[in-house]
Amino acid sequence: MSAGHKTQFWTIARRDSAAGYLFIAPQLAGIVTFVLLPLCLVFWYSLHEWNVLANTFNYTGAQNYRMLLEDPSLPAVLGSTALFSLGLVVLNMSLALLLAVLLNQKLRGIAVFRTLFFSPVVVSLVAWTIVWGFLLQKNGGINGMLLFLGIEGPNWLREPVTAMISVIVVQVFKNVGLNMILFLAALQSVPNELYEAARIDGAPPFKQFRRITLPMISPTILLTSIITIVGSLQVFAQIAVLTQGGPGVSTTVLVYYLYQQAFQFHFFGYGSTLSILLFVIVACLTFAQWQLRKRIVFYEN
Amino acid sequence: MKTELSPRAKVLVYGTMCVLLIPFVFPTWWMVTSSFKPVSDIFAFPPQLIPRSFDFTTYGQVFTLQPFAKQYWNSAYIAAVVTAGTMGISSMAGYAFARIRFPFANAIFMVVLLGLLIPSEVTIVPLFQLFLKLGMVNTHWPLILVPIFGAPSVFATFVMRQFFISLPVELEEAARVDGLSRFKIFTRIALPLARPALASVAIFTFLHSWNLYLEPIVFLSSADKFTLPQALTQFTDAYGGPMWNIQLAAATLTALPVLIVFIIAQKHFVEGLAHTGLKG
Amino acid sequence: MAEVTLTNTRKAYGNVNVIHGVDLDIEDGQFVVLVGPSGCGKSTLLRMVAGLETITGGEISIGGKVVNNLDPKDRDIAMVFQNYALYPHMTVATNMGFSLEHRGGSKSEIAERVHWAAGILGLTPLLDRYPRQLSGGQRQRVAMGRAIVRSPQVFLFDEPLSNLDAKLRVVMRGEIKALHEKLKTTMIYVTHDQIEAMTMADKIVVLNGGRIEQAGTPLELYDRPANQFVAGFIGSPAMNFIPGKIRAEGLVTSDVVIPLPRSAQEHVGQDVVLGVRPEHLVAEESGIATLVTLVEPMGHETQISMMLGQTLIHGLFRERLPLRPGSIFHVRLTTDKLHIFSAADGHRLM
Repeated sequence: MSAGHKTQFWTIARRDSAAGYLFIAPQLAGIVTFVLLPLCLVFWYSLHEWNVLANTFNYTGAQNYRMLLEDPSLPAVLGSTALFSLGLVVLNMSLALLLAVLLNQKLRGIAVFRTLFFSPVVVSLVAWTIVWGFLLQKNGGINGMLLFLGIEGPNWLREPVTAMISVIVVQVFKNVGLNMILFLAALQSVPNELYEAARIDGAPPFKQFRRITLPMISPTILLTSIITIVGSLQVFAQIAVLTQGGPGVSTTVLVYYLYQQAFQFHFFGYGSTLSILLFVIVACLTFAQWQLRKRIVFYEN
Repeated sequence: MKTELSPRAKVLVYGTMCVLLIPFVFPTWWMVTSSFKPVSDIFAFPPQLIPRSFDFTTYGQVFTLQPFAKQYWNSAYIAAVVTAGTMGISSMAGYAFARIRFPFANAIFMVVLLGLLIPSEVTIVPLFQLFLKLGMVNTHWPLILVPIFGAPSVFATFVMRQFFISLPVELEEAARVDGLSRFKIFTRIALPLARPALASVAIFTFLHSWNLYLEPIVFLSSADKFTLPQALTQFTDAYGGPMWNIQLAAATLTALPVLIVFIIAQKHFVEGLAHTGLKG
Repeated sequence: MAEVTLTNTRKAYGNVNVIHGVDLDIEDGQFVVLVGPSGCGKSTLLRMVAGLETITGGEISIGGKVVNNLDPKDRDIAMVFQNYALYPHMTVATNMGFSLEHRGGSKSEIAERVHWAAGILGLTPLLDRYPRQLSGGQRQRVAMGRAIVRSPQVFLFDEPLSNLDAKLRVVMRGEIKALHEKLKTTMIYVTHDQIEAMTMADKIVVLNGGRIEQAGTPLELYDRPANQFVAGFIGSPAMNFIPGKIRAEGLVTSDVVIPLPRSAQEHVGQDVVLGVRPEHLVAEESGIATLVTLVEPMGHETQISMMLGQTLIHGLFRERLPLRPGSIFHVRLTTDKLHIFSAADGHRLM
């Protein structure tokens, strides 16, 4: 009878549930340990004044958040962050779209071009950055080329405006291939009949692009924009290698500032507060993306 | 837009693409060629697109100035372990979320998805403290454990789940009737069919680990523990200025193998990354 | 080989009941077809027998053993799926031997069984192919091969022919029937196609809304449908239904009177629905006058649509009639082939 009881408890559904929990257990344990727990801790730390060098750890409540509001560097940092993200997304999107449109032509050897435009994506990030750093030196390759044309180039990485342009451009060329492929896929999913219909209606190519292509791929553009912005908020290596946030704070984006406060100046408490700020920004953007996607999916259905 | 172009338009398209190609291809070219140039030539004017002579001494210096072979091994084995581990953990979790009905599955999935919301930069401070307590700072454990189990693997789980959802349920039902357990269904039916998705996961996980920069510089402090991205920036002279030709030689050694694999298997790369990117 | 018994079997998803207490006895070696419109619960019922759906209430037993809580693999059943569900990454031989592999058969034993099954189904030359290299009919055969290879007690078929074209469907229908003749194993077959049900079954079970409407041999269901639903479902073209009231002189519908057999007198005064199959209409000068709306010649017979009073009915006629839409056409309803159902609940009165 006891054996009968046992089989009663382990019904088919229960056994399957147990298998389900076993399958997700490693991932779930990892998320709890390496994401949820740290997220709680970072909030807890942000309520403390914590200097590792001085070995102090005092509860200060909202002190760090007050400091955040009064931090004289923060407006500049947020400005740089916004400038970097916006510049990046605008340049990235337009270039990706241009490349996708070019690659969408029926031409011999187009696959080779696609491979080459995509290749920086797989080049080691720091290697890529180092080469650009080398090219952007005062006497580097780019200014050498410019000199050929009779232009004396600036010291790219040492002047606020050109430094920002440089870090944006380096990042765009590195990763634009990804968005290019996404746009290419979107372009190819536009039914050919639409273009045929438009041609019968007598719409010239540019008008076809504006009235058919753009509206059809606008969901992809919107979604990739947000993904690109969220990604841009996490750009660290390029700035650490190229400009170390300088000159001044002109290229100090939020992530780099966080790194400086926590790991260079050892203000873990304030660094945690900056982490919370970064989290809130990313969470808002991601939430917007999900909402947008839901609406688009709904719209498409 | 798929109409045959006129010859003039063709020339225009080819021309535009060739010009646009410069910033994509030239840096890699410049990196490789400059690594063979003697120091005196790397900033020469006019710039030398093709080096006058091939000087391999910089490559020797790469290995003598730093334990570069060890660092190379560090990066390679960490990336390999992370890739294998992520494929295992994420395919299992992705499969369960896609296919197995268990209480709170959706709620748990939402919790796991939180990992996508939280950039690793946000949690780096507490993670550092955590590994400090565990005595794992200046070891490779943080660079292995966090990507496999933590936030970076969530994306892989998401990709795998999307794939498994698209797999016909009837295949698994047939397998159940054929006498397979859940685990066997997973290993014998679902996983072999998931090869394309696994390839995507492998590619982006490997690249992610290979490119990791913030984590190594936070967690690692001795040169023989360094990974490649971190090591590359360490080739500096007594004043902290970069030793360009050596850095470029090291960068070439870092970038070239992946680039070559990419060119061989480029279809997989492009489609794999685009596929996952679209769903991210 | 085994009998299958369902006792008060129920299935609910949350609060939604999809199977309401089904009782069914399937004899050893019988070919039973579960048929009904989509959403009637026939597939769910089959999947409950297979063990792919849990059983909310009641009991299912196979070969005298209650299987409610057994895994599919422990029920000694085999199933053929609608989309065949062949493993794309395995050859035909591996697909067919896969279940044996997991039951601990030796290599030579498996190969022998696979060759036996392949021989029966004419698959021997295809054993090294992959499913993607096969035609629809061949895939269907492999799916059956996978099922017969381990000689289970019961075969379950879930709409196995619905992905084939009309011609191939007829061929495969014959093959499955022949297979049953050869193996004499209990088979439960789900379809929405009543022709498949009529041609293949020893016993048809008509399901509707998660309940059994009627179970019986094909001709029982055809000749004496238990209710209006079964009457309308079995037979093609479908039975005509004419609502009306029974009077002494016959069935009165609008201003038409249809003669009824004498036995109908006991239902005088009742509101009923008269059922008559299209093939039971006879062209006769002395019959009821109808107005022809459509003439569809098919060569061997002609289908004629006409208005009888206020009701549109269809008839099948062997003779070639000189009719056009708008013609007046006199028909007689074969009196001893009439079905009478209660207008209130559709059950058979006579």
